[in-house]
Amino acid sequence: MTEPKSPISRRSFVRAGVGGTGLLGAAALGLTQSGFTQDTPSASDASHGAAHEGGMHTMPTVVGEVNHARNGFNPTATLIDFDGGAVTRLSSGQTLREFTLVVQNKTIEIVPGVEFAAWTYNDRIPGPTIRVDEDDRVRVTVVNASDHPHSTHFHGVHPGLVDGVFDMRSGVVQPGEKYVYEFDAEPFGLHLYHCHTAPLAKHIAKGLYGAFIIDPKGGRAKVDREMVMVMSGYDVDFDGSNDFYLVNGIPFHYDHGKHPIALRVGEKVRVYLVNMLEYDIANSFHLHANFFHYFPTGTSLTPAEFTDTVGLMQGQRGILELSFKHPGRYMFHAHKTEFAELGWTGVFEVSA
Amino acid sequence: MDRGLRGQRLTAANGEISSSSGRMRIGRLILLLAPLAILAGVIVLFVYSKGAGLNVTPAAPIETVQFGRTVLSPGKIQLHLRNTSPQPITVAQVNVSDAIWPYTISPGPDIPRLGSATLTLDYPWVQAEAYEISVLSSNSISFATSIEVATATASTAGGAGALWSFTLIGLYVGVIPIVLGMFWLPLLRQLGPRTMTFLMAATVGLLVYLGLDAVTEALELGALLGGAFQGTGIVGIGIVGTWLLLDAISRRQKSIERSEAGRRMALAMVIAVGIGLHNLGEGLAIGAAYSVGAAALGTFLVIGFIIQNITEGLGIVVPLAKDRPALRSLALLGLIGGAPAIAGTWIGGLVYSQGLSVLFLSIGAGAVFQVAYEIGRSMLWNDAAKRPAPFITFGGVLAGMLVLYATGVVIK
Repeated sequence: MTEPKSPISRRSFVRAGVGGTGLLGAAALGLTQSGFTQDTPSASDASHGAAHEGGMHTMPTVVGEVNHARNGFNPTATLIDFDGGAVTRLSSGQTLREFTLVVQNKTIEIVPGVEFAAWTYNDRIPGPTIRVDEDDRVRVTVVNASDHPHSTHFHGVHPGLVDGVFDMRSGVVQPGEKYVYEFDAEPFGLHLYHCHTAPLAKHIAKGLYGAFIIDPKGGRAKVDREMVMVMSGYDVDFDGSNDFYLVNGIPFHYDHGKHPIALRVGEKVRVYLVNMLEYDIANSFHLHANFFHYFPTGTSLTPAEFTDTVGLMQGQRGILELSFKHPGRYMFHAHKTEFAELGWTGVFEVSA
Repeated sequence: MDRGLRGQRLTAANGEISSSSGRMRIGRLILLLAPLAILAGVIVLFVYSKGAGLNVTPAAPIETVQFGRTVLSPGKIQLHLRNTSPQPITVAQVNVSDAIWPYTISPGPDIPRLGSATLTLDYPWVQAEAYEISVLSSNSISFATSIEVATATASTAGGAGALWSFTLIGLYVGVIPIVLGMFWLPLLRQLGPRTMTFLMAATVGLLVYLGLDAVTEALELGALLGGAFQGTGIVGIGIVGTWLLLDAISRRQKSIERSEAGRRMALAMVIAVGIGLHNLGEGLAIGAAYSVGAAALGTFLVIGFIIQNITEGLGIVVPLAKDRPALRSLALLGLIGGAPAIAGTWIGGLVYSQGLSVLFLSIGAGAVFQVAYEIGRSMLWNDAAKRPAPFITFGGVLAGMLVLYATGVVIK
């Protein structure tokens, strides 16, 4: 018995009880606990593992593990998977790199137990990380094996006819058809590609996006490890706001207790970070207990900033260069905490 | 001889009747079953033709979940779910205030139709803060519930202690105010007939007001039940059933009781039963809510209940003003009117279910409506025939309703 001036009315008092959102006597708790004691192995294992290992407190995460084999892709592989295409030399001496992107409807188990009717490039989210050298000739054949028109819009400098926006002549591909986008790779940097068919937000949010890297002539400084992280979200109930946030297709994949990224002290790491998040204005990347050199859009070889947090608007991207001084477990996640707790979180496990 | 013949004839006639009634029974059975058999055929045809050509298979599954109790203990939140949709549901993930949170669920994540499950979260909730919890099914459909004011339920743990606490609350809210209200009986005896008519009318007003309140609660709560549980139907069954039962009881009493005094006692008894049923529903709500109330609501509201319920005690003894009932009878009336509140708090606190709450609220509503009608018929209209006083009745009913309205303004 506390507040005499309680704002809760008699009606809401009654409703709180009978309405079911109220709390019940612990006698009821006792009853239910003796009534049900059996937990499902998967659910209890997962949460107990996270909760009690080394006295660790319970942190947000999903219960269980998605079926990567059935999904057809695994973020652990996506992280270090760079696709240079089929390489030939044109008569002019220019290097030609050829790629094929097949657009398909695909059901993906995005978090354990939840299937999402996704649209994919080559059966994966994000689509393949396309990696070419500056001034290469890039030829991308986009096959539409789905039941909606789609396109592929590359960021970079190229003619309007391969921009993938307006009509069939400029790269909108009808179901069952294909289109060949061909252009010279410029400028060097970290870019992206995505479907640009209306309604645009839906076409991107359902999974049609990927990273597009143009390496500078002569390459970047040598590092030990390179990885790509494409940030995005899933709106599973179609209400125009994301229910999950993630990097590389599956929320919480690189999280502690799941599949943290193993590194060694002193290893030089380069991260290609792309923000493809729909519905929210901005996304961010924060690294724990460390700083990184940041190259916005990767269009300069001189870092613009030495920081531990960057913010990115939709379509913004940048290259991070870092190495760890101390061994340990270090989180990386969106510094918008809500995004982190809804899936955009991971861990670097650094060994000596 | 004669008698024997008649007996044989009768037996023969009986035999005929039984054999022909056997045939009739088969005939009736056919008459009964034929439309049902044809109906079954029609249903098969409908399903086979995919809903008369319309594709009746929904594009997305229809899923509904009803949240029952939410139990909080330090570092732990426990939710009780019931699947009220047409098909089984699988719980996939749980979101607590914008964070995907690990959970355990028993007996398991697959909940059959109308089945239930208990979901447990290790969550460091904070006293008096609000939480939004949504459960995501494997079909990506989310069901949300909220904790408006988080507070532990652990303090009432322990069977006997909790039971005694609930009993005390029931006594405070039900028995004590009603018995106190009955102490006005000696005063009633000194009042004139016009004042008595006014008080009777006021009782009718009180009861109508309480009934409306209960119906509103029952319908609102009934709407929260899943479709399969048909909240509005439960309300209808509760009100109509209770009304007719009480009506039958009071008619029977009147046919048995010969003396005027006996009839007045019978009326008082019916009023007590009606008010008792109403208090059962109220006790149920309190029992269910009290573990919140202990921390978040406070003494003030219980005082409000007590003030409102003292008028109910007065209502019970008003028909007895001309009589000198035995103390034992009065005690019985008080218990019938008030003690159900104790039973209600037990039921509400220990074996709570939303459907049960809807039923009890509507039983209470049916009871008070019937009692209001009973008082009106037995006392007011009879009196009015003898001593016409239309505006006293009007003023009394309105005064009764206004008293509850006014106390409501103060305590709500």
